[in-house]
Amino acid sequence: MAHHNQQSQALLDVSGLKIHFFTGAGVVQAIDGVEFGLESGETLGLVGESGSGKTISSLALLKLVPRPGKILGGHIRFENDDLIDKSEAEMIRIRGKRIAMIFQNPAFSLNPIYTIGQQLGEIMMWHEKINRGEANDRVTEMLNLVGITDPASRLKQFPHELSGGMKQRVCIARALLCKPLLVLADEPTTNLDVTIQAQILELLSDLKTRFNMAMILVTHDLGVVANMADRITVMYAGRICETATAERIFNNPQHPYTRALLSTIPRVDKSYTNIQSKRLTVVPGRIPNLIHPPTGCRFHPRCVEANGECSRTQPELKTVEEGHVVSCLKR
Amino acid sequence: MGILRFIIRRLIFMVFLILGVTIMIFFMINAIGDPIDILMAERPGITQEVIDNIKSYYHLDRSLTEQYTLWLWNVVQLDFGTSIIYNQPVGSMLVNWGWETVKIQVPSILISLLLAILFASIASTRQYTKTDFGVMGTALLGRSMPGFFTGILLILIFSYWLGIFPSYGAYSTRSPLMGSLLLDSLWHMTLPVMMLAYFNTATLTLLIRSSMVDVLRQDFIIAARASGLPNRRVVYGHALKNAIIPALTYLAILFGLMLGTAPVTETVFTWPGLGFLYITAIQQLDYPVIMGITLIITLMLVLANLFTDIAYVFIDPRIRLE
Ligand SMILES: Nc1ncnc2c1ncn2[C@@H]1O[C@H](COP(=O)(O)OP(=O)(O)O)[C@@H](O)[C@H]1O
Ligand SMILES: [Mg+2]
Repeated sequence: MAHHNQQSQALLDVSGLKIHFFTGAGVVQAIDGVEFGLESGETLGLVGESGSGKTISSLALLKLVPRPGKILGGHIRFENDDLIDKSEAEMIRIRGKRIAMIFQNPAFSLNPIYTIGQQLGEIMMWHEKINRGEANDRVTEMLNLVGITDPASRLKQFPHELSGGMKQRVCIARALLCKPLLVLADEPTTNLDVTIQAQILELLSDLKTRFNMAMILVTHDLGVVANMADRITVMYAGRICETATAERIFNNPQHPYTRALLSTIPRVDKSYTNIQSKRLTVVPGRIPNLIHPPTGCRFHPRCVEANGECSRTQPELKTVEEGHVVSCLKR
Repeated sequence: MGILRFIIRRLIFMVFLILGVTIMIFFMINAIGDPIDILMAERPGITQEVIDNIKSYYHLDRSLTEQYTLWLWNVVQLDFGTSIIYNQPVGSMLVNWGWETVKIQVPSILISLLLAILFASIASTRQYTKTDFGVMGTALLGRSMPGFFTGILLILIFSYWLGIFPSYGAYSTRSPLMGSLLLDSLWHMTLPVMMLAYFNTATLTLLIRSSMVDVLRQDFIIAARASGLPNRRVVYGHALKNAIIPALTYLAILFGLMLGTAPVTETVFTWPGLGFLYITAIQQLDYPVIMGITLIITLMLVLANLFTDIAYVFIDPRIRLE
C-alpha cells in the first residue's frame, strides 16, 4: 500500500493479511486480504459494523489472534521489520512497549484481583527493568496525565472500586506507560456513558499529540472518528472497502458501503445521544456468515448498486485519486 | 472489625450445628440397640446382675436425655468418655488414630493440589490438543473409578505383581524398613496416599482446568498479553490466581470431609485411622467413640467452611463479608 505524504515515514504497513478461524462448524474466513497502514504520528480510523473484523485485525498486529484463529498470510511491516517473522520472544518486547492496545470493555480488561499499582507497575518493571518504587512513581505520573485525581492513592485501589470512565482512563494509562509509537484503541468509548465518551476521545487526542504517537482508532461509528482521524479505512466482512483522508471519506465517499454508513450519522441538528442509542442498521441485512462468504464482492447481497458481475468477480483495491483507494467494480 | 464479627457469628452458628448433629446421632445409635446387649450376646454365661452393673457403669441405665446431657457436660470439660470395646479413653484414641488419618489425608490433598495446578495449567493452555485430552481423560477416569477399585488396583500392581509396597497396615510388624521408622512409615503410606491423591487430583484438575479455560478467554488476560507480559507470567501470575478461587471451596471440602473419605481407604488398606475406627465402632455401637468421631467430623467441616470464607476475602478483593 502506498503512502503519499512524503514528509513522514511509514510506521505501519499491513498487506494481504489473511486470518481464518478453524471452528467445529467450519473454517471462518474472518480476514481476507486486508491492507491498511499509517505514518508516524498519524491517526487512522478503522471503521466497519460489528463483525467486520476490526478487533481481530488489531490483535493480529500484536500477533495475539485468539484460538482457533490463525494468521495464514500477509505482512505486517512495522518500523521496517515484518512482525510476521518475529518470534514470541521478540513480540513480547514490542507489545506494550512499541505497540500498545486499549480495549473495548474497561470493566473486564483490568485484572480484578490486583491493585492498579500492582498491575501497571508490573508492566513498567518488566519493560523498563526498574524497581517497584521507580515503577510506582512512573505509574503515578501517568495516572495524573490521564486525568485521574489523587493518583498516588489510586495505586492501592482495586479495579472494582473505580467507575467505568476511571477504569478506561487507567487502561489508557496502562497502554501509554512505555510511550509506544503506535496505540490501537479498539472501540475505546463504546461501553461508556455518553457524557464520558467525549471526554475520553478528547483525552486520547491530547495524549496522542503530547507523546507524538500514531493511533488506530477502531469504531463502528463514523461519527466518532470524524474529528479525530487523519485517514479512514472502511472494512466490511473481513475485507477493505475504501481508504482515504477523513475529509474525502465524508465529502466524496466512493464505496456504496461507506455511503450507507455515512447516511446513518445523524446531522448536527439532532442530539448527540441519538448516535449512541441507534443500532447500526446500514442497509437491510447483516454481516454474512464467513464460513460461506458471498462470492465476488462480499458486500454485494446488501448493495444497492450490485449486479450479476458483483457476485462473480472479487473487486481489487484500485486508486481513484492519490491517497484514495476503493474496492468496488463500479468505480 | 467486620471480619471478627463475621467469625463470631459463624462460631455461634457452629455451636448450634454441633448440638443438632450430635443429638441426632445419639438418638439414632440408641434406636439401633444397646452396645452391652450386643457384647453380652456372645457370652451366654453372664448373669443379669453383672450386665446391669456394666450398664450402670456406662450410665446406660439412665434416660436418654440424661445420658446425652452427661455426655455433653463431659465433652465441654474435654472428657470424651471411655470406649466400650477398647476400654480406653476416647480422647486419646481420637488423637492416636486421628494422627494416622491425617498422615495419609493431608499429604494426599497437598500433593493433589500441586499436581492439579500443574496439570490444569498445562491442559488449559493447550486446549483441545492431544495433551489436553490426555489430561482430561485420565482425570475423568480418576473421578469415575470407585475409590476401593483404585485401591485394589494399586495393591494388585504394586504389592502383588511388583511387590514393592506393602498392601496393609501403617507399620511393619517385625523390623522396620532399613531400620528406619520414618522410612517404614513413608513406605506404608505410599499406596493409600496414591489412592486418595488420584481421586483428589482428578477432581481438582477438572475443576481448575475449566475455570482456567474461562479465565484465559477474558479480556484482562488478552490485555496482559497485549502489555507484553511473557506467557509464564500471564498464565501463572494473572490467570491461575483467578482460576483457583472456585477451587478453594472444593479444597476446603476435601479437608473438611477428610473423615468422610477415610473409611473406604482405611478399610482397603487396613489402615489404623479414624475411618477404620469409625466403621468398627458403628458395627459394635461403641457410642462414646461414634459420638467423638461425629463431633470431629462436624467440627472439621464447619471450620473448613469458615476458613474458606475468610480466605476468599484475602484472595478476591471484590468479596466483602456482610
Ligand atoms: N473465536 C472466534 N471463533 C470463530 N470466529 C471468530 C472468532 N473471533 C472472531 N471470529 C470471526 O471474526 C469476525 C470478526 O470479528 P471481530 O474482529 O471481533 O469483529 P469486530 O471487532 O469488527 O466487531 C467475526 O465476524 C467472526 O466471524
Ligand atoms: Mg470488536
